[in-house]
Amino acid sequence: MVASPPVSKSNPVAKSLVSGILSAVGCVALAFLVQYISGQFLSSYANGLVFQAATFVTLAVSLNIVNGITGQFSIGHYAFFQIGAYTTGALSLLFWKKFQGAANVPMQEDIWIVLMMFFGIITSAFAGWIVGLPSLRLRGDYLAIVTLGFGEIIRISAENFTFMGGATGTKIAPEKTVVWLAWLLAFAAIGLSRNLLKSVHGLAFLSVREDEIAATAMGVNITRTKVAAFVIGSAFAGAAGVLYAHQQTFISPDLFKMDGSFIVLTMVIFGGTGSITGSALAGASLFYLPEALRELPPVPFASLVGIVLGLIATIGALKRYSDQSHAKTSVKAATMIGIIVVGIVFMAILGKLLSFVPSISAHAPIQGSQLRLVVFAVTLIVLMLFRPQGVFAHHEFSWKWLRSVLARVLPKQKEGLSS
Amino acid sequence: MSQLVLDKATIKFGGLTAVNQVCFELEQGMIFGLIGPNGAGKTTCFNLITGLYKPTSGSITFDGHDLSQYPTYQIAALGISRTFQNIRLFGSLTVLENVMLGTYLRKESSLASALLHGGRSIGDTSRKREFATNLLNVLGLGDLLHVRSRDLPYGKQRRVEIARAMATNPKLLLLDEPAAGMNPQEKVALMEDVKRLRNEFGKTILVIEHDMKFVMNLCEQIVVLDHGEEIARGLPAEVKANPKVIAAYLGE
Repeated sequence: MVASPPVSKSNPVAKSLVSGILSAVGCVALAFLVQYISGQFLSSYANGLVFQAATFVTLAVSLNIVNGITGQFSIGHYAFFQIGAYTTGALSLLFWKKFQGAANVPMQEDIWIVLMMFFGIITSAFAGWIVGLPSLRLRGDYLAIVTLGFGEIIRISAENFTFMGGATGTKIAPEKTVVWLAWLLAFAAIGLSRNLLKSVHGLAFLSVREDEIAATAMGVNITRTKVAAFVIGSAFAGAAGVLYAHQQTFISPDLFKMDGSFIVLTMVIFGGTGSITGSALAGASLFYLPEALRELPPVPFASLVGIVLGLIATIGALKRYSDQSHAKTSVKAATMIGIIVVGIVFMAILGKLLSFVPSISAHAPIQGSQLRLVVFAVTLIVLMLFRPQGVFAHHEFSWKWLRSVLARVLPKQKEGLSS
Repeated sequence: MSQLVLDKATIKFGGLTAVNQVCFELEQGMIFGLIGPNGAGKTTCFNLITGLYKPTSGSITFDGHDLSQYPTYQIAALGISRTFQNIRLFGSLTVLENVMLGTYLRKESSLASALLHGGRSIGDTSRKREFATNLLNVLGLGDLLHVRSRDLPYGKQRRVEIARAMATNPKLLLLDEPAAGMNPQEKVALMEDVKRLRNEFGKTILVIEHDMKFVMNLCEQIVVLDHGEEIARGLPAEVKANPKVIAAYLGE
């Protein structure tokens, strides 16, 4: 219909292939670098955290494919994670000893885990396909309920797998924290999502999120697209589950409780629904936040009550001001910092005052391990109030974006210097 | 030979017969008007043709295919594309992306290739981007490529929707109130463009429109619906003079 101008077609393909191979090699190298640094310089606890961060990045980015890109509100992502873990659990119980005896090769454990990842991907992708099928007919809240129910079915079924210890759980044979593999998986999830969004197929996924009727009228097979999203998302979760099981060395249904699904969902929304960058960074940081807060010192109960009440007042004042003020950005920022300072002083005074109330001061101090979840919750509330679209909204990190930001910031600095 | 044939197409929603025994035929390369008062069943007709609704009885045939046998996305593949009365663009996608999606039917690469950023997918996507850019240039939307479609004014959104429908390379284009919300200048420009789509690209076009001047000047044949039934059909001048049509619009 419209004649395409003669452009050499091999050029962009060849260029992209080279950059693709380079970035694949780069990812492998980076994964091994992370493993080396974290194994060499960090404690085994911190090494475990580095590993788990990758797991949560994988989970968040893969849920983003279903929730963010395709717009199917799934809250049962942990079920696929669990299916991966239990697949390797069962197979390792049955065959690991035989494999260990039969094949005496270097990196035997790593090879076994890679093999298990393959099976974990198959079983969880199959489960994703099963869950994807009812989603053809369901939307929004209804789909959320189905996925929630599916998650519970998987967890409760696992409680009845007596050969895997039922509700108590079972030990997994090769104990290994394979940091490089976990990070490689996370990079793969990020890379595949990005590739998808750069293609016409990716547009089909997005169109299902935007408007199903228009998408189907333009020839998109909605059923196939939704199921594909579920299969891809759950395959990654399953692979992550395999790695997680071998790192935890002991798996039980308790590890995969429903709140896990919600935390992963929170990561996706926190980062900005649909943004791969957002999901990945939120996955790592929201996983790390509660861990970092384990070190919090115990706080007297009166101070905590003061802080919480003061926070509510401060956040309320900030929100009201930011919604209603039309001042210049600099004035606005200064005022908001002022409000925060006043708020902190208010919190301290309130805490001190409350310590004179006998019934409150008699209360035992709150331990850091309890406090961290309060901090986690407050972080989320603040974000949802001030930036409901998530930290990154729908934006992605790219060199182009970075340049445009720098271009916006740098000239201003020059002006500032000259004036 | 007729391209699209509606033979006693009927759809009932519970007790309401929205479209009742409607028969009409569209010849290849024709600009055809579908008019009638509000609630006459015009958009329901479009939904029947595109497979969003299945007829309760009667048949709809396109190029010899019985459309009731196909799901909507396959009807699009047969060569029927449409716009919507209440614009249904993919709001957070750019204009270019919206139109690129229209080429999805002609994809030459698999999902696996797309995920792995394979050469086939890269080439395919860049060819589709080129095609969509050209198409938008031809339709005079070349300067809006990277604007989010949600941010466009109403009239432009309607044009982008037409561009998206054209990108599927349809044989039959269904336009549901394309001129609604446009100012007189925009309407004149739109009319020229719709004529061009037929003259240069050979599309068959079926238009629903309330603006009588627009319909009378554009269409070569007009069908009038009222309460789901066909009350008149013929040349614009004949329809305009038909007492039944006047009664339907103005009351008796």
